[in-house]
Amino acid sequence: MNWNEHFPALLLIIPLFGAFLAPVCSLGGKMARNILLVAASFLTLVVAFLLWRSVLANGIQYYVMGGENFRLALPSGMALPVRIILEVDAFSAFMALCGSIAAFAGALFSVNYMNRFSGQSRFTSLYLLLATGMLGMMITGDLFNFFIFIEISSIASFGLIAFWRDKPSAIEASLKYTLVSQVGSMLILIAAGSLYGKYNALNMAAIGSSLTMGTMEKLALVFLVGSLAMKCGAFPMHMWLPDAYAEAPTGVTCLLVAVSQASLYGLMRVCFSIYGVAMGSTFVPWMIIIFGLASMFFGVSMAVVQHDIKRLMGYHSVSQVGYMLLGLGVGLLVLGDARGMADFGFTAIKGGVFHVFNYTMYKALLFLTAGALYYATGKKDLNEMGGLARRMPYTTFMFVIAAAAISGLPPFNGFVSKLLIYESSFAVHPSLAVVALLTSVLTLASFVKVFQTAFLGPEKNNLLHVQEVPPAMLLGMVVLTAAILGATLFPSWTLSNLVEPAARALVDQSGYIGAIVGGGM
Amino acid sequence: MGKVYTGFGYWDVGAWILFFAVAAFYILWLRSQGRSDYKKGTAQDEIYWSGNEVPEDGADLTVPASSAYWGFRKALEPFYKGLLGMHTGLPADVVGYYVLTVAVLAVFVLLV
Repeated sequence: MNWNEHFPALLLIIPLFGAFLAPVCSLGGKMARNILLVAASFLTLVVAFLLWRSVLANGIQYYVMGGENFRLALPSGMALPVRIILEVDAFSAFMALCGSIAAFAGALFSVNYMNRFSGQSRFTSLYLLLATGMLGMMITGDLFNFFIFIEISSIASFGLIAFWRDKPSAIEASLKYTLVSQVGSMLILIAAGSLYGKYNALNMAAIGSSLTMGTMEKLALVFLVGSLAMKCGAFPMHMWLPDAYAEAPTGVTCLLVAVSQASLYGLMRVCFSIYGVAMGSTFVPWMIIIFGLASMFFGVSMAVVQHDIKRLMGYHSVSQVGYMLLGLGVGLLVLGDARGMADFGFTAIKGGVFHVFNYTMYKALLFLTAGALYYATGKKDLNEMGGLARRMPYTTFMFVIAAAAISGLPPFNGFVSKLLIYESSFAVHPSLAVVALLTSVLTLASFVKVFQTAFLGPEKNNLLHVQEVPPAMLLGMVVLTAAILGATLFPSWTLSNLVEPAARALVDQSGYIGAIVGGGM
Repeated sequence: MGKVYTGFGYWDVGAWILFFAVAAFYILWLRSQGRSDYKKGTAQDEIYWSGNEVPEDGADLTVPASSAYWGFRKALEPFYKGLLGMHTGLPADVVGYYVLTVAVLAVFVLLV
């Protein structure tokens, strides 16, 4: 048996099996449950890596669920695919790899972090279920299936955000996310149902192959783009995000960063692979660019005035999502214009895709460092911290790396992706690059504040007992630090091996459609 | 390592790392030139805090995070009043902004 062919299914089966096994494993004690959490996350990461390599070597990989042959996308006599199909191109594989790294780091961190609390069996189940939902969103080729995976990840998120049920603020954050998320999911379902009603297909490639723009298609596009932009935290629909990120256990926040990227993935898949050049008007690309600019500027403006460390980082998430929306929106703007795409469009898409990787790594790391501070001091308010660099040198070191990377300081990886976005968006209009640059300056100002108030200055008398966090938590942070330093020291390798294939796959609508509708076996 | 070509120029991480290495070497050299014959336990060894006595607790001499960038916020007070006012935290507002945004987009997309 060739295992390569089964990687797409294995990517979902491993965390899903782990989620259902967690209550049973919990009977064996904390150690067994922690081993399950870390082992399932690690195996998922290994499969994601192997799948990514396999896709780079062999091209788009698909997997037909429930059919007589898992490689038969279009059975003879059928005009359209009827089964649930997982379709993994280089963009999906790249996203799954990013998400799996964050999930593994979060799992490692949670081993010690969650040790003080009860309900770990539920935590492990929901964590792995959230990872399953996230990965499912990234590799499914079916619109209804995408909705199902959104729901799986949303339901797991609701439980995890409200994990500390004795905290009213956690319940409130979860309630807000539940309300807005469910309204969003309903609109996604209406959009999928409308497209199914007209095109008799739920497969993304099949819909993309026959889509022509009409009133229904326009409304479906708005519902999909609006809902997925809300799920990834675009301004002004971002208000659930700082609350949810601040209240969830830190390992979960690390994974939620990657889950928000799964929504961004869905947004890009809809725009590039389903609608593509059929979109016609430039209104939607401009809408995405405006979402990006507003998210960048207003997100960072809110971050500057926060003094709860996790809320501050939550607002930075809104701001960073803006960079990706800007880069990918500029690329979408010139999707049908070969010259524009060659001049700056593809550079913008590369910048956006590279920023997805960078953002997932450094934002996940920043949340983990915030969690480490909370674990060590019991505080989230920066006003109550100070002088912790002496007590927590490793956490400080990793915080500085992540803060420099998110601020776009050279030579860190955040600078490279931002540079690509600045230069390409400048080609559309200089004001776009000005907003992006101003956002970077405010990001740096904000993280200088965090560094100065939490880590520098004299030690506070009530924090003299503080010690560095346990090794498993440090290890979780080390995984992400290594990814940041790797992308920093080897940007051309990262671009040519990770980013460019993903960006190329994203703009190749005919390749994505042809793999399924083109024949099957 | 290598260069990253952006289409408008290039980015060479090696050059920057070389720059940082040279800068770090210079800083360490400069530091090594400092006097090592100061007297420990005397006034030479104490923190200088604008001529005032240094408080025992660090909490008494640090600027809290909520006061950082006070001037920036004061200068942009009208902007921040609007922005913070928008973030009510009410669940109805969270859903309301989403529904309103989608509705506005739908109107524009159908008109364009």
